[in-house]
Order: sequence, then C-alpha cells, then structure tokens
Amino acid sequence: MQDRKPLYLMTPALAWLTAFMVIPCLLILALAFFRRGLYGGIEYTFTLENLALVFDPLYAGIFLKSAWIAGLAALIAVIIGYAAAFAIAAAPSRQQPILLFFAVLPFWSNYLVRTYAWIVLLNREGLITGLARWLGYDAELPRLLYTEGAVVVGLVYNYLPFVILACYAPLSRLNPEIAEASRDLGASGWTTFRRVVLPMTAPGIATGFVFVFVLSIGNFVTPALLGGGQFQMIGNLVYAQFLTANDWPFGAALSMILIAIMMGLLTLQTFATERASGAKREGS
Amino acid sequence: MASLANPRLMLVILAAVFAFLYVPISVLVALSFNEGGLPTAWTGFSTKWYGELLRNGDIMSAAFNTLVVALVSTALATLFGSLLAVGVEIRRRKGRFLETIIFAPMIIPDIVLAIALLSFFSLLNVTMGLHTVILSHVVFNLAFVCSVVRARLKTFDWSIVEASTDLGASMPVTLFRIVLPVMLPAIIAGALLAFTLSVDEFIIAFFTAGAGRDSITLPMQIFAMIRFGVTPEINALATIVMAVSVVALTLSQRLNRGGLPGQ
Amino acid sequence: MTQPLLSLRNVEKHFGTVRAVDGFSLDIQENEFFALLGASGSGKTTLLRMLAGFETLTGGEILLDGKDISQVPPNRRPVNLMFQSYALFPHMSIAQNIAYGLEMEKCSKSEIKRRVGEMLEIIQLSHLAGRKPDQLSGGQRQRVALGRALIKRPRLLLLDEPLGALDKKLRGDMQLELKRLQHEIGITFIIVTHDQEEALVMADRVAILKDGKLLQCATPRDIYEHPNSRYSADFIGVMNFLPATLRQGQVIAANGQPVAAQLPEGLSEGNDVVVAIRPERLQVAAYRGGGGPRGRVLATAYHGLDLQLHLQTNLSSEPITVRLTAQEAEQTALSEGDEVELGWNAKDTRVFAA
Ligand SMILES: Nc1ncnc2c1ncn2[C@@H]1O[C@H](COP(=O)(O)OP(=O)(O)OP(=O)(O)O)[C@@H](O)[C@H]1O
Ligand SMILES: [Mg+2]
Repeated sequence: MQDRKPLYLMTPALAWLTAFMVIPCLLILALAFFRRGLYGGIEYTFTLENLALVFDPLYAGIFLKSAWIAGLAALIAVIIGYAAAFAIAAAPSRQQPILLFFAVLPFWSNYLVRTYAWIVLLNREGLITGLARWLGYDAELPRLLYTEGAVVVGLVYNYLPFVILACYAPLSRLNPEIAEASRDLGASGWTTFRRVVLPMTAPGIATGFVFVFVLSIGNFVTPALLGGGQFQMIGNLVYAQFLTANDWPFGAALSMILIAIMMGLLTLQTFATERASGAKREGS
Repeated sequence: MASLANPRLMLVILAAVFAFLYVPISVLVALSFNEGGLPTAWTGFSTKWYGELLRNGDIMSAAFNTLVVALVSTALATLFGSLLAVGVEIRRRKGRFLETIIFAPMIIPDIVLAIALLSFFSLLNVTMGLHTVILSHVVFNLAFVCSVVRARLKTFDWSIVEASTDLGASMPVTLFRIVLPVMLPAIIAGALLAFTLSVDEFIIAFFTAGAGRDSITLPMQIFAMIRFGVTPEINALATIVMAVSVVALTLSQRLNRGGLPGQ
Repeated sequence: MTQPLLSLRNVEKHFGTVRAVDGFSLDIQENEFFALLGASGSGKTTLLRMLAGFETLTGGEILLDGKDISQVPPNRRPVNLMFQSYALFPHMSIAQNIAYGLEMEKCSKSEIKRRVGEMLEIIQLSHLAGRKPDQLSGGQRQRVALGRALIKRPRLLLLDEPLGALDKKLRGDMQLELKRLQHEIGITFIIVTHDQEEALVMADRVAILKDGKLLQCATPRDIYEHPNSRYSADFIGVMNFLPATLRQGQVIAANGQPVAAQLPEGLSEGNDVVVAIRPERLQVAAYRGGGGPRGRVLATAYHGLDLQLHLQTNLSSEPITVRLTAQEAEQTALSEGDEVELGWNAKDTRVFAA
C-alpha cells in the first residue's frame, strides 16, 4: 500500500509541473540552439552562435558589471545577515522565534513595494535630502537615486531576510557546549569564533551568498527602478531580448547562462558544506 | 552562542538591522497618511489618498485581476500541492529526481521561468491573458504549498491512516475524513502563503499576461506607476499591498506553529 | 476436530535480506486468547500487520475460517488491529472515534448511536464521550482504542503491545480488564507482548518467536514445565542453567561430578549441554558433609511469601537461584554465608545443547 497508492495523489501536481515548468524549460534550452529569424521569429536550424554571442566582448562589460554588483550585494548581505543571525541566536531562546519572524516578514511582502520604499528615501525630493536640509546641510547633495549604490542597497535590502534565515539555521543548531569547550581549552572569544563557530556555520553563509548572487544577477526590476536604466544586468539583457530586441534564441542562451551560474555555485556550495561537515566530524 | 556574545554589541546589531529593515517601509506607510502627500513636510493626518485609489479605475481593475489570479491559482495550487505532499510523504523511498522537480520552482530565477513560459505559450499559439498568468502562478504556488504541508507531515502520525483503513475506510474516505481534517491548519497556512505570493508576483505575470490592458495585475500596475516617480497614491497602494501580506503571513504562521516557510 | 479460526501456513515476510517472518505454521482456535512473545525484532509486529493486511506475504497463506485472505485489502478484512500507539484520531471525540468503524460499514444512525453507547458502557468511558483523545489519560486512551476496534465485532482482534505505554500498576489492572472483556464479548484475541509475565497472566496459549521463527507454541503451563529449547526455557520464568558434558551416558557438571538429569534424546557422547532447573524444584539443606553439589548463600530475598536464595555453588561460576516456600524457609532457617548442600530430581530437569 505504501508505494502504489501515492501515484494518483501526485499525478495532478506532477503533470502540472511537467507541462508548465519542465517542458518550457527544456524548450528554452532547445531555443538557445536555434537561429534567430529575419523578422524576429525563430528559424529552426541548429547553431552555436547564440552561445558564442554570450561570450562576445560586446557583452563582457555587462557580465562583469552584473557580477560586480551581484557579488557586492551578496557580500554585504552576508556580512549584515550573519551578524543579525548571530545576534538573534544569542538572544534568550524564547525571543528567538519572534525576532526571526520579524526579520523574515519583509521578505514575504511585495518586492516592488520594498524597492519603491527606497525610491521614496533616495529621490531628489526624498526623505534623505529633506533630512539633510533640515540638519542645515544646504549644499547640493550627490545624486543618490539612479546610481550603482542605490541598486546595491536595494538588492541587499530585499534579500537580507533570506540571508538571516540561512545563517540562523546552522547557528541555532550549534551546540553551545562546543563553543564553551573551546573557551575551556584556552581559546579567546575571537579565536573560538574564527576556528569553531565560523567553520561550522559556513554552509549557511554559502547558501545565503549563492542565492543573493543568483537572484541579483538575474534581476531586472531593481536595476530598472533604482538604477534608472543607467546600466544593465544580465536580467535586463534577457528582458530586452524577449520584449524589445525580439531575439529569443539569444535570450534563451543568456538564461541558460544564469541557470549554469546557479548550478555551478550550488554545486560549489554542496562541496563546501561537505567539507564543513567533515571538519565537524573531526572536531567532535 | 550566548557565551561568545557581547550583549551590548548584540543589541546594537539587532537595533541597526531592524531599523534598516523597517524604517523604509514605515516611512512609506507614514507618508500614505500625509495630507499633503509630500515626503518633505507633514501637513496632517488624512486618508484621502486611499479614497483616491478607489476612484482610480486602472488600479481597481488591476486589483480585481490580481484577486482573480490569486484566488484561482491558490485554490488549484492548494489542492494539487497538498495531494502531492501527502503522496510524497506516504512513500517510504525518496526519489532524488522527484525531490528536484518539486524543489525547482522555488529556486529557479523568476525571469527564467517567465521567459520559458512566454516561449512555451507563444509557440503553442496560446492567446495570453489572465488565464496564462493563473496557469503559471500555480507552478510555484503548488511547490510552496507542498513544502509547508510536507513540513507538517513530518510529524504526522501515519498510524492513524492505517487505523482508518483497518476500521474499513477506503483510501479516499481516509484522506477526506482523517488526513484532511488533521492537516487542515497546515493546508490553510500553505494556501495563505500561496495567496500572498501570487498577489505580489510581478515578473512571471509581466511576461505571461499578454499585451492586453485588461489583463494587467496589481504588481504590473504598480511597476508602471513607480517608473514615473513617487506619488501619494502609490504610497497608499503600497501600504495596502503590504498590509495584505503581513496579515496573511501572520495568520499563516499562527496556524502553522512552525513559522514562515524555510524558518 | 473443529476447523481452526485462523491458520497460518508457512507464512513468510522478507524485507530485502531481513527475514522478519521466516516461514511458520500455526492454528488459532475460536475464542482463544493467544499471545505472541519474543524479543525486540523477532517479527511480532510484522506478523500482526500481515494478519491485518498491511504487509503482503512473500510466501505462504493465511486462512480465516478456511478461506485464504491474503489478497483481501485491510479495510475488507473482518480483522481489527489495536495499534501500539493507539492511533486515535486526534480531531474526533471519543464517541466519534468509536463510531468511525460503524460508519464505514454504513450502519444506520440509530444503530450506531446504540452500539456506541453500549461500547462506552463496556469500556466505562460514558462520562467522557465528548472529550478529545489528548484530554485522556494513557489507560483511558487504551480503552478507547480497544472499544474502537471491538465495536466492529471482528472475527479476530490483534493487539500490538497494548499495555506497553502504561505504568506497572495500571498494566496489572488492564491485563485483568482485557481478559474480562475478551470473556464477555467472546472475540479471538492475538496479543503481542515482550513481557513474559503478561503473557502468562492473560493468554490461553503462547507462541515464542525468535528471529522470525516459531520456537514453541503451547499453553503457558506447558512452556513453563516443558520448554523445548534453551531460549524458551530462559524466556518464561526464572531458570537456572548448569553447564555440563555428556559422558558415558551421564551428565557431568563442570566440577567433574555427575549430576541428576533426564537424559535427552538426540544428544550424543561428548556434547556440551546445559541442565535447566526451575528455582522451586531445588532442595537445599544446611551442609552436613556430603559429597554432592554444595554451595554458600550469597544473598536472601523475600518475594511475597517466597524466599529466594542466591547460591554460589561448585557446579558453575554463575550463582544459582533457589525458591523456597515460607514453610520450607522456616524449616531450613538459612541465612547469608551459610554452607548448604543442594539436590533435585532428575525428572525436574531439562537438558539442552549448549
Ligand atoms: N518496513 C520494513 N523494512 C525493512 N525491515 C523491516 C521493516 N519492518 C520490519 N523490519 C525488520 O523486520 C524485523 C522484525 O520487525 P518487527 O517490527 O516485526 O519486530 P517486533 O518483534 O515487533 O519488535 P518490537 O518488539 O521491537 O516491536 C526487524 O529486524 C525489523 O528491522
Ligand atoms: Mg513491534
């Protein structure tokens, strides 16, 4: 009974996922190898041009820029997020779920609205400018909105809750006696943190970093809203291929790259996790 | 952890992080009640911008569309996702392939799924509109419902299912009379989560809604409005949208006792 | 000879390489109170689940009233299982839990009401009919689980360690309660336990399982008096084992002395054996200089009216237990440190291969 029956329970969902996820994803995988038609359609002849185009120096700038912004956002998010997760894990255990709930709550509210909140703060007539005037700073402020910095802040702001969550998980599982044992063996607080706590919680950091990086590099909303279209990320490039340039095969190839980056990082992360758990075994 | 932490430093970190998380949205909420509507000067409390929203036909029709999309996709996703969860957890053997398929909708970047669905629908010559948005939203919604329900099923006492069979119930009767009532809080929690995800979802809707003005959802409308700058109306709209999420998620968390998904 | 209610014919269940139930046959008569006894992992639960229909057989057949039920799904078998965890439906009241099985049989509302009322009466929970399972004590829950299964009037009721979760005192009460109910309602019970005392108190017949095999199946008294293997001898009651060897038709103890023992069949010259003797079959007296088995009292302990002596003897390195009635104890008046000699009748021993 345990192995036959569940099939009919799973069929509707699996059929749905197959029809509207697996097949469409395989489809763009295939699209990436077709030629672009003369008037924007698709010509069904095999080609590697699209993939080659991805590595064209023309786009190298966009790739580097995307990677730089995504990497910076991921790094900042991980530093802040880890500190926050550590502080939550250090709080009295009764308060931890509440703190965590409020740290994560913004994550589940509308992404556009959260991004918009920064437009309100950063724009030329915005709150920060107002605050500066009110404090008596009359000189012209540098432009805040529509800058690289604004995009990074927006990405960090949006994905921070996720990082807190990812870092909190291993921190909360950490047996406090391990840290105490290290102190007992003569290590200072900082050494204990660096040699014991950090390695054991590295998988959470890695998860946080990978997800912020991947979600940022494929983002087109934040660069459009907070970057004001000043520069493009891979996400914007994909967007453009499908909605303006009408070069679907190239857009498909670009999104394959996104997936490849994600898979690559996730594999690395799994590898790192295994090493960390290996370290844990040695330590115990 | 407590033994390593300097309590005062921890407090400073928490205060700073929560300020960072909550000041921007709080400012937004406060401004939505500002009579004058300008961010730089408080001219008095008023709800007039909310009234403006009600008179804005575009916003109201987008809101209606979003409600339709969210309700229908949540209903379908809740049904399929819950059945899937039960089906997966009833099995003793866990398939890696199956796990990947179920997990994928939650981690695939939205833009990839969005263009994949766009290509899929156009190649099939499907006219796009709200119905295609619904079809697409069910994909990730069912994955989230499934994950919430599965988390609850981990602590589910399967012997009551066998007890029900033993007492003469067929599998469908057991599902309906035993599994469903016991799992209901988790299923509702999953549904509430799916509902907020669907209400808030922008990218996939943007790509799969087609070109028609009558299939614009609320996030699409908000995106269009934000690009033209800050208006008091958006502040009010943003506040409402956030309130819906917060209420739904708090309820969901209450029902689930296990916290937000992933928590 | 009447047809047995239940016949197991070479039933077996293998999980991969694990032989959970390793091919045995067994008949159970109508109205029997039958106990399955065995160490953890011996296949008791697996056997019950096969009877209830939750495990398919890998071999053999199960006949109920002479008909093979191997292919009948669990919800169509006139067999009910009382789960070890009770498996009460947490969202239903006690009365609803009990009514569930009848609703599945599509009984009329009025009949369900009447029979649930009667059952609540029998399990003495009428006053708690509206409560949810989590508002009950362990013993009350156990009775609900029992009532829920009994109300279906199954041909066969299976109970998987029904008393495992209860404390010792309550367990004693419940054993009598189960026995009373079984008598009153007249249903065949198969109960799983790994508490030998429980099996002795309740069961008409006991089957001892080991590693999926049936070692012995008999009345408790028979198993006590005539265990057919060292394992069954050890499993039920206290047993002394003396290591020995067979030589020239005699049983020679470890100290080289021949001892009184019933010579077994199927064991030959030179075999290492053990001689099994029940504590109450041993006689002791203050040492008077004989050359027979002797020892020293290590400790004395009262068990109710009986006195138990623990002796260090010249027969084995393990201490030996002797049980004396109050009367005997008074006559011999032994205390710690006393030297004793001991004896027994050959007919009270069993000899097994070591
Ligand atoms: N589903 C299963 N898959 C694999 N092996 C199993 C399964 N169920 C039981 N077994 C194995 O079969 C053997 C018998 O298990 P069973 O549960 O019947 O023992 P038991 O006598 O009821 O033990 P206990 O007294 O601990 O309840 C054990 O070795 C167990 O590991
Ligand atoms: Mg068992």
